Amino acid sequence: MIEITTVTKRYGPKVAVKELSLSVPAGELFAFLGPNGAGKTTTIKMLCGLLFPTTGTVAVGGFDLAADGDRARALISYVPDQPFLYDKLTGREFLQFTADLYGMPPAKARDKTAEVIDLFHLDDFVDDLTERYSHGMRQRTVFAAALVHEPKLLIADEPTVGLDPKSVRELKTLLRQLAANGTTVFLSTHTLDIAEELADRIGIIDHGRLLGCGTLADLRKHASVDGNLEDLFLAITEEGARGAGRGASEDQAAASGAAREG
Amino acid sequence: MSSLPLAPCPSPLGRTPSQPAAFRRLRVRLARNGLRVALEAGRVRFFSVILTTLIVSGFTFGFSRYLFGQLAANNIPFKGAIVGSLFDLLFFTLGGMLIFSTGIILYASLYTSPEARYLLTTPARADHVFATRFQGAVAFSSWAFVALGVPVFVAYGLSAGVPWWFYALLPVFLLGYVLLPGSVSALVCLLLVRFMPRNRKQFLVIVGLIVLSLLTVWGVRTARAANRSIVTQGRELDDLIEQFDLVRSGAAPSHWMTRGVLAAARGDAEEALPPLALVWSNGLLLYVVAAATAKRLYRPGYDHLAGLGRGKKVFRESVLDRLMGALVFYLDRPTRVLVVKDFRTFRRDPTQWALLVVFGSLMLFGAGNYRNYMSADLAVMDKYAISLMNLGGTAVLLCAGLSRFVFPLISLEGRKFWILGLTPVSRDTILCGKFAFAATGSVLIAEVLILVSDVLLGLPPEAVAVHAAAVAVVALGLSALNVGLGAVLPNFRETDPSKVVVGFGGTVNMVIGLGYLLAVIALMVVPYHTAQLARATRSVDAAVSPLVYAGIPIGLALGGAAVVLPLRAGARALRGVEF
Repeated sequence: MIEITTVTKRYGPKVAVKELSLSVPAGELFAFLGPNGAGKTTTIKMLCGLLFPTTGTVAVGGFDLAADGDRARALISYVPDQPFLYDKLTGREFLQFTADLYGMPPAKARDKTAEVIDLFHLDDFVDDLTERYSHGMRQRTVFAAALVHEPKLLIADEPTVGLDPKSVRELKTLLRQLAANGTTVFLSTHTLDIAEELADRIGIIDHGRLLGCGTLADLRKHASVDGNLEDLFLAITEEGARGAGRGASEDQAAASGAAREG
Repeated sequence: MSSLPLAPCPSPLGRTPSQPAAFRRLRVRLARNGLRVALEAGRVRFFSVILTTLIVSGFTFGFSRYLFGQLAANNIPFKGAIVGSLFDLLFFTLGGMLIFSTGIILYASLYTSPEARYLLTTPARADHVFATRFQGAVAFSSWAFVALGVPVFVAYGLSAGVPWWFYALLPVFLLGYVLLPGSVSALVCLLLVRFMPRNRKQFLVIVGLIVLSLLTVWGVRTARAANRSIVTQGRELDDLIEQFDLVRSGAAPSHWMTRGVLAAARGDAEEALPPLALVWSNGLLLYVVAAATAKRLYRPGYDHLAGLGRGKKVFRESVLDRLMGALVFYLDRPTRVLVVKDFRTFRRDPTQWALLVVFGSLMLFGAGNYRNYMSADLAVMDKYAISLMNLGGTAVLLCAGLSRFVFPLISLEGRKFWILGLTPVSRDTILCGKFAFAATGSVLIAEVLILVSDVLLGLPPEAVAVHAAAVAVVALGLSALNVGLGAVLPNFRETDPSKVVVGFGGTVNMVIGLGYLLAVIALMVVPYHTAQLARATRSVDAAVSPLVYAGIPIGLALGGAAVVLPLRAGARALRGVEF
């Protein structure tokens, strides 16, 4: 479902993502982990078609995001960490707008809207203007909108922030069900417990490089550490930071040498 | 790792209903819900916006009627070349302003708004997103153009005696004209963002310098030609008119507007409709070109802008901060630190003070030009009337500026109040600090503007003294009102100051502020000006009656009350607030 091929993304002189390659098949729940500023959000923005790679390609469902972006985005739902809702729309109107935007036939849109309202327990407030919603209510509404058009790929950035424990539990069950029914779930999170509990595979990124990718067992083997995901994460990112430091020193030395020779 | 599907997934795109219909429904719903909320929750604000618009439109109508009356008094034909030149200039200037205002709004709504970020992650086509944002930007930037343009041309119609259908065509002309500058600014915005060189700052500085140089050269030539025309009693008028050749050329949309409006005023439908068609067809064509450009360039432009990265800007203490600290030397150190903190926030946000700079420059430029008219013995307008307008304008600007910047200060402290709350500074001191900051800045700015413009206008010392006293009372009173009411009617839920300002508290504050400044000017200044005007019209040389100063002590007392009462109420409210 997701095919990222040797992608590099630069912001001016800064390299946010460096030669990233990653494949995620349909129906997999993939957790994407990394420290702050590691390149997670940039990767997600490229997956949604919000940004384009400086080099390399990103394809979703077989459609290249740069060349055939509208078709690719029709398969995707993105739930950002700070969800956007129109203040002057009700939750129901926002769901209807989303269904319209994704070209759903009216009858099907009505049925799916009713279904997600029920699924996310929006009944009590779905006809209020969203400007009156709490963060948790907003998050649930955005999730409902993300699922109303039955996406093939769900991308969620820190989806559990602001949700109460019961909602977190329900969300975890839902994400597993979605993956079981063939939807690919790409989850970016700092909550390692959730990644450990839910993910089929885990990718760890730091300094724009994918440091490790695989099942928990694969990562244990890769890091030569027999612990939980937190131990693995710390071991892999620390090793990655040392590698990045060495790389930077070598780059600097090469540059100084070149300057001296010049 | 599993392999990808060989064939692309079936994409749901292309099924009903269409995206344009979805966006149309969205706009209708947003407008309907917004109006309902405005009527249900914010009636005061809603009706004060309507009332303010009506007052501004009424004032524009009255002023235009007066100016058209002056044309009639000087036997200048209403449908002739001079009025045509004036209309050319008016449409050209307004078109230029619309290009800038629409461009700025469109840039923000296409490239920095959360809505754009959301829509770009959906399958919404780039040109559809552009279209919906374009309509919003043009409506937002042009409503003032239509609200001010209609009264000007209604006044013209009534003065010139035009057929009834002139009034029916008027909104069609104005709405059509809005499309042209809007589309031009959209095209410029899309191209600029997509092809902006990597060194953004250098590029913008170079473009800004070129535009500024061209405007300066043109401005200096025009001013020289205007002065020549004045000192030669109009003999060199051709020289002045030549400076506006571009505006009056047949290819200029502003000239199409003038031709159409004048033909409609003459009752010549055959001559009026082709320019109207030109305006609309070119506007629509440019809009289509802009939408097609957006289809190709909007998404790459968004990516390009993000890819430019941000330079690391180092913020340091400025000499201005030390100056601000020195100006409030009479306060204790903790309060001084708070004042400097508020000032630093203010000076680092150019949107806060840009309007002030523009208004101040225009006012002083106008007052400076008045001297040329006086030296040529052309008493176009009474200097007392101009100085009163300057005073009123400065007071309204203070009211708007303080409402925008000072009123939300307490509301914005709410979320981070623990910072101030943990310092050994009492809440009364915090309030006093905010008042000292607002009062120092507003008194300084208002006095400088009024004194310099009065001196340029050549007003007598007693008039300058009356103005200085009035503007000080207005500045002090408005500062206290904004600080006090900001504490009495805070909005701790909102993080965006512009939303705090347009809320219930902000509207109440604005209405009270406007009422206060009108009362002070009416009590302290208007009697003096009325007496001077009466003297001028009767050509009497006698001194004005001392009674004209009778309102000054009442104004001072009102000012005292406006300082003490809101601050006391604000302090009481702030002491009781739980953060």
